Amino acid sequence: MGRLGLCLKNLGRHGWRTRVILFIALFGAFLTFVSENIIEDISIKQSEMFGRSSVGHFRILNAGIETENTFGYYFYEPSEMLGPEAIASVKAFLATLPEVTGARERIVFNGVYYNDEDAERGFNGIAMDMADFDRDFTDLYYAKGARLASGEADACAASWYEYEQEKSVDIGSRYVFLLPNRNGEFVDRYLSVKGGIDFKTMPKETMGFNAMFFDLAGFRAAVGYDEPAASEVIGFLADSRTMGKVIPKIETFLAASHPELKVVSWREYAPIMSEMVIGFDAMMKAVETILIVICVLLVFKLTTFSIIERYSEIGTMRALGFTRTDIALQFALEGFLVIAAGAAAGCLLGAGLIALLHETGIRNSLTFFEYVIGHGFNPSLHADKISRVVAVFAAVAALSPLLPAIRGGRLSILKTLEKR
Amino acid sequence: MNMAMTRHGNGIRIRGLRKDYKLGSTIVSALRDVDLDIEPGSFVCVAGPSGSGKTTLLNIIGLIDSPTSGSLTVAGVDLRSIPERETNRYRSRTLGFIFQTFNLLPVLTVYENIRLPLLLHKEVSKEEKRDRVIELAEAVGLADHLEHKPAELSGGQRQRVAIARALVTRPSIILADEPTANLDSVTGNEVLELMEGINESRGTTFVFSSHDPSIMQRARRIVRLHDGRIEAA
Repeated sequence: MGRLGLCLKNLGRHGWRTRVILFIALFGAFLTFVSENIIEDISIKQSEMFGRSSVGHFRILNAGIETENTFGYYFYEPSEMLGPEAIASVKAFLATLPEVTGARERIVFNGVYYNDEDAERGFNGIAMDMADFDRDFTDLYYAKGARLASGEADACAASWYEYEQEKSVDIGSRYVFLLPNRNGEFVDRYLSVKGGIDFKTMPKETMGFNAMFFDLAGFRAAVGYDEPAASEVIGFLADSRTMGKVIPKIETFLAASHPELKVVSWREYAPIMSEMVIGFDAMMKAVETILIVICVLLVFKLTTFSIIERYSEIGTMRALGFTRTDIALQFALEGFLVIAAGAAAGCLLGAGLIALLHETGIRNSLTFFEYVIGHGFNPSLHADKISRVVAVFAAVAALSPLLPAIRGGRLSILKTLEKR
Repeated sequence: MNMAMTRHGNGIRIRGLRKDYKLGSTIVSALRDVDLDIEPGSFVCVAGPSGSGKTTLLNIIGLIDSPTSGSLTVAGVDLRSIPERETNRYRSRTLGFIFQTFNLLPVLTVYENIRLPLLLHKEVSKEEKRDRVIELAEAVGLADHLEHKPAELSGGQRQRVAIARALVTRPSIILADEPTANLDSVTGNEVLELMEGINESRGTTFVFSSHDPSIMQRARRIVRLHDGRIEAA
């Protein structure tokens, strides 16, 4: 039996206290482990999947267009659109940025359609290259109906999101649409709704929508564009966390080459998304911090109790020749072992949960986020996050019992022996 | 400072030893001008009524307490002038302690309790540590109880474990503060017999305190303390 053996034997003597520390460490490590890894996955998924359509991209458009809080459906004058040269120049620059995986022009507009009762309904429209739609928006497309082909001019797709029956279309039906041409004049076209992006996977044939998608080339052909202009160039990031690094580079380029243009991220035009992400992240960090602080305080307190209970033992060991450092190390090691054991168990449980989620995902869900999760959110373990959690809990395990342990080592032999 | 004292050449020399305690504004003297020489291999009882200073004297010899003034020399080394690191070494290599309340570690077995002080003796091999523990356990009659925890032993058996623990580092001096106080007279005598036997066979110096006349009479020398002064030595 060495020092470690002595510590291990002592661990069993504190019963509920050891178990409380063990549980707190376990719970703290579990939550931290899972949240750190899942947050990492969310960050990645933000870039890879639904996030690229919401947070993993930026838009370059005329500096005069008001975008704040528009959620990307902004108003503009035809003169504020980007011409072919500007589009080509911007895309060429974006191609030089390693963080940017793709860039393409889009036309964001406001249109009108006439429903079955011939009532006029406004909608937000987006015309973009449908060949790229799959890659940029992953599997959030065509949950219903058929795909919209690249270059298809007489059809569109709806993104069903809001269940407002007043703004609804039937898949496969044709409607009269009023669409803006290059000059901002509305032209009427009789188009079919081929299918749609169903954010909620509800088994409804007719649902409300919040946007209509058109193929860019098809749209231009349908309304008669005299030049391939666009209201914006949208750029996609491989990793949404690189946004802060990319935006300044683009701003520098635009200031030098296209002072009439600006770059905006979702943080500006959809601040609620930013607040949600920041809020979620902050909430998880706060929970982690609280658990860690509780863990530290509990270990501190319980180690102190343990020392008080073992005064006589401290005195005996000191009388036998053990140094102050020996005593301090003994208590510190005991505290470390309990927390480390709890944290290791918590990490293992967390890894187990993540492995389970990775294998199964969550399916047959009804909400938007659950849909997103269920169709591809299979979190995995991240070495850097595991290292982080292990480092944090190693620090907690090493530091939290340290002060009472040092105090224990400093106790006078005489006083500790007198307590017997 | 060289603390490598010869095994059985560690005579204790005390001169002008004084220990004062401050109780509020009052100063209480636990020991007053104590002069004492203890030869190597002695079997000495420090006797006296409660509060006479017996425990204080043993604590000072054991470097558990420090005197207010005076000198304490073991094997020619003034222990008052050595640094703390050396005092730990002195306690672990020169001294063995036997406590009135045994002070065994409850989570450890008899074997582990006896072996505990050897954790500080890296120079002793594992095999030798095991041999020493078994030899001492046999010597104190506990060879069959090596796997027992202290709670499973009688008072006398616990004190035997404590004696074995005190001896395992092969110290030259053993300090025992009222080693029989918590034992019945028969068991107390058995423990004392054991101490006597070790003293005779190994030459280990025993300095123990007691206020029990039947225990005192077993000592080869009695140092009588009264109100912190030596009445007779």
